[in-house]
Order: sequence, then structure tokens, then C-alpha cells
Amino acid sequence: MKPMLSTELNTPEAVVDKAKIEVKNLNFYYGQSKALKDISLSLPERSVTAFIGPSGCGKSTLLRVFNRIYELYPKQSAEGQVLLDGQNILDRSQDLNLLRTKIGMVFQKPTPFPMSIYENIAFGVRLYEKISKAEMDGRVEQALKRAALWTEVKDKLNASGLSLSGGQQQRLCIARTVAVKPEVILLDEPASALDPLSTAKIEELIDELQADYTIVIVTHNMQQAARVSRQTAFMYLGELVEFDRTEKIFTSPREKRTQDYITGRFG
Amino acid sequence: MSTAASLHQSRKRKNGVMMTLCVIAAGIGLAWLALILGALLYKGLAGVNLAVFTEMTPPPGDAGGLLNAIYGSIVMTIIGIVVGTPIGVLAGTYMAEYGRFSKLTTVVRFINDILLSAPSIIIGLFVYELMVRPMGHFSAIAGAVALAILVIPVVVRTTEDMLNLVPNALREAGTAIGAPRWVVIRSVAYRAALSGIVTGILLAIARISGETAPLLFTALNNQFWSSNLNAPMASLPVTIFQFALSPYEEWQQLAWTGALIITLTVLGLSIFARSLTGRREDR
Repeated sequence: MKPMLSTELNTPEAVVDKAKIEVKNLNFYYGQSKALKDISLSLPERSVTAFIGPSGCGKSTLLRVFNRIYELYPKQSAEGQVLLDGQNILDRSQDLNLLRTKIGMVFQKPTPFPMSIYENIAFGVRLYEKISKAEMDGRVEQALKRAALWTEVKDKLNASGLSLSGGQQQRLCIARTVAVKPEVILLDEPASALDPLSTAKIEELIDELQADYTIVIVTHNMQQAARVSRQTAFMYLGELVEFDRTEKIFTSPREKRTQDYITGRFG
Repeated sequence: MSTAASLHQSRKRKNGVMMTLCVIAAGIGLAWLALILGALLYKGLAGVNLAVFTEMTPPPGDAGGLLNAIYGSIVMTIIGIVVGTPIGVLAGTYMAEYGRFSKLTTVVRFINDILLSAPSIIIGLFVYELMVRPMGHFSAIAGAVALAILVIPVVVRTTEDMLNLVPNALREAGTAIGAPRWVVIRSVAYRAALSGIVTGILLAIARISGETAPLLFTALNNQFWSSNLNAPMASLPVTIFQFALSPYEEWQQLAWTGALIITLTVLGLSIFARSLTGRREDR
């Protein structure tokens, strides 16, 4: 009953563009329990891909494999291949910190560092680049503009990042991620802790960012997936059930389970 | 209807009894504190004058001050803190950050808790065997080491607790931006936990500045001015101990004054520590 999902089969027609990330036969374990079962899919460059599915289906787990952040915790392990531009990032020789400058991540809850707004952004830049104060000022401004936050904070760059509202904090986190010039941005339910207005702003932002970045978003909110993504993956119980262009998933899914989920019959 | 009313009445009565008991208990606890502070202020303030801070401890029956004892207390406390704090902070960092999931952390935490509640006289005896006997004489440095050993478990405990309060999401965020582990610890975790860690250090200072037992076997005491770390050194707690037990009135007065100085210092530090944590919670 398990659907056969080869990479080819899961490369929808919209995805003729170059693949940025290719996942091949990925399994993931929390200790002994298997959380991802033989996942294969291919994410096209410079577009938004959404992962949807009920809680515990493994969508966040899959996202957390892409920057190997799961390695902060013992007993979590991945096997298979995740290719970033053809390079297997699960390779032992992969430099993790370097990988994470290429693949940025924004979390569910806003996580500003306990420092000023300016420092929140300069922090990541300073890790890998030695630039002058003037250049840094430019980078900070650019990143904040990119995250549509500049006009709101330009007069209080030295205020604590924690003094901002939830929606602003989340945009600060996006600005911080963009500032280190990643190639891929992972968003783990970035708007689930925010009010509708802030959510709309974040979605608008995602739409703008896809011109330059490959974006992967995990979301509980199906309307959000439908609004922001070009292709959508539906996951259930650790399996990738279906992966296709977003409008196809939401209008004429191949699988019954997908249909049941998006019509609200379960989940 | 009447059952409900009588139930309500009996519940109200029980509540009244319990509340009275609690208030009495709280009152008894606070009364001792007030009595101690009152006695200290009453007896101690009478002896506060410039000489206390400018003159040495006197021979029996003579007037004098506590300068050498105050100096000794400050010196040994500072050395104890300077030696003990880095060890405590680093150990706490290991337990909360690098070794969060390791067996070793559980073992270290258990041992640390024992050390935390170990009677300080045992620490004094330990350092006596470790340093005083081999060296052949009492010394300020041995006293400072004994105090440092008392500092370590306090600082380990607070550092670990405070770092554990830092949300994991913050560590993940630091890691996700490409920061190596030690940068995440230094720039994110420490910063988020700073006021708590500092509070722990202040509490450690408060604790050791009143310790007598570990100094009795190590620094002993000194009637005269001495800044030699390799020789016996006076300290406020030991001086109070000696003077309070003496039959001489001048000495007894100085003991009261010394006790007042220590108590006010510890009180001040505790209030300062409290205000630091308080500000943290406000944020």
C-alpha cells in the first residue's frame, strides 16, 4: 500500500527548473523509532515549497534534516542522501557551520538574541565576514529593508530585540537569516504564533524572497500553504504521500489520503 | 439547603484555623530575624566609630578596631571568589551545555549537591590536611582555598540552573545561523542567563563572608596587621568567635560591631542580588 515515490515521479511539471535540494531515500530516527520513512523528493531553486500534514507527520523533522540542526541532540540520526547542489550534506565531512550559513532557518516562536536589534543582525554576519562599520551598517539596513522592518526600527536600532512585538521579532529573525546571504531559507511554522496581520506581512515577505532564495515552509495552515507555495508536499505518519504543484494538490490530488486531509476529513 | 450552608460554614472555619496557624508560623519565623537584627543594631551600633575601621584588633583590655580582620576577610573572600567562580561557571557550563545529555552530568550534579550541603567545618579540616599540615603552618592562602571550595558548588548550581532556563529555541537559532557551539554559549546563552549567574556569584560571596569554621583550621587568626598570604591572617568571623568568647568588655563590644558589619554586608549583597533577578523577571 506504500506509494512508490521515485524522485522522477515527484518532480512535477512546474519543477523543470534546476533542483536545489534533492532528498533520496531519507530515513530518520528518534532513538529506535523511525520518524521519516524512505523520503525522496526534489525541491526546485528559487521557489517556495510547502510541507503540510497533521502533527507528528514528520514535516518539521524533514526540515530539520536540511541544516542538520537535529544533531544538537543525541539519539537523533538520519540516513540516506540530501543533496544541496549535488553535494550530500549528510556526509560526515560536511562542515556544519558552513552548511548553516548557506541554509538559514526561522523558527516557530520568534527567537531574537538577547542583544540590540542591530547586533541581532550583525552577529551572524560577523561570524564569517570581516567588514568595516560602514559596510556593516549597510548590511544591517539592507537586511531590515528586505524583511520589511526597516521603517519601523530605523530609529531604535540600539533597542533590545526583545522589545519588539511578536510579528516584528519574527521579521527580525528573517532579517537576521537573510543578512548572512543564505541560498536556502527554512521556515518552521513561521506565522503560527502571530496574529493575522503579522501573518499577512510574513506571507508577503515570503512571496518577495522567493525571487532570490529557495524557500521551504512547514505549516499547519493549509490556506497558507495554498497562498504562498508553488509546490506542496503532503506527509502522513512519516511518509511522503504526495508531492506536486500546489494547485494540483489542492484541487485534484492523486491520493485519497491527501484529499481527506485537505478537505478536513481528518487531521 | 441547610447542609450546603453548614458545609460552607465549616469550610470557612477550617480556613480561618489554617490561616491563623500559617500567620503565627510566619510571625515566629520573622520574629527571630527581627530580634537578631534588633540586638545586632542595638549592641553593635554602640561600638561603631572611626577606630573600628582604622585600628588593629587590640590586646585584652585595650581599645582598638577591626581593620586587620576586615582586611583579611576581604582579601580571602576575593581570592576565594576569583579562584572558585571560573571553576564553578565552567563546570556549570559543561553540565548545562556540552554535557547536557551525558551520564557524567548526572553524577557531577549529585556530587555537587552533596558538596553544597557539606558542613563547612569538614571543608576546613580537608584543607587543613591538604595544605596546612604539609606547609607546617596556618596561612591566608589555605583559608582562601577553603572558601573557594565553598564557592564552587554554589556557583555550579546556579550557573547550571540559569543556563537550563535559557530556551533551547535560542540555542537552535544561534546554531542555525552558523555560529559554532562556543559562540552560541558565549554570545547567546551566557547573555541570556547573565543576571542569574551574577546573582549566584553574589550569593556565594554572601555565604563565604560569614564562614568561620573553614577559616579556624586554615587561616587561624592574627592579632596584628599582616598582608602576607603565607602567614596566618585575621578575619571578621574568626575574630568575632574569639572576642565574643572572651571575658573582656572591649573585645565583646568589637565582636558585636563586627557581627553587625558582616550582617549588613551580607544583607546588602542579598538585596542587590535580589534586585538583579527581579529586573530579569520584569523584562
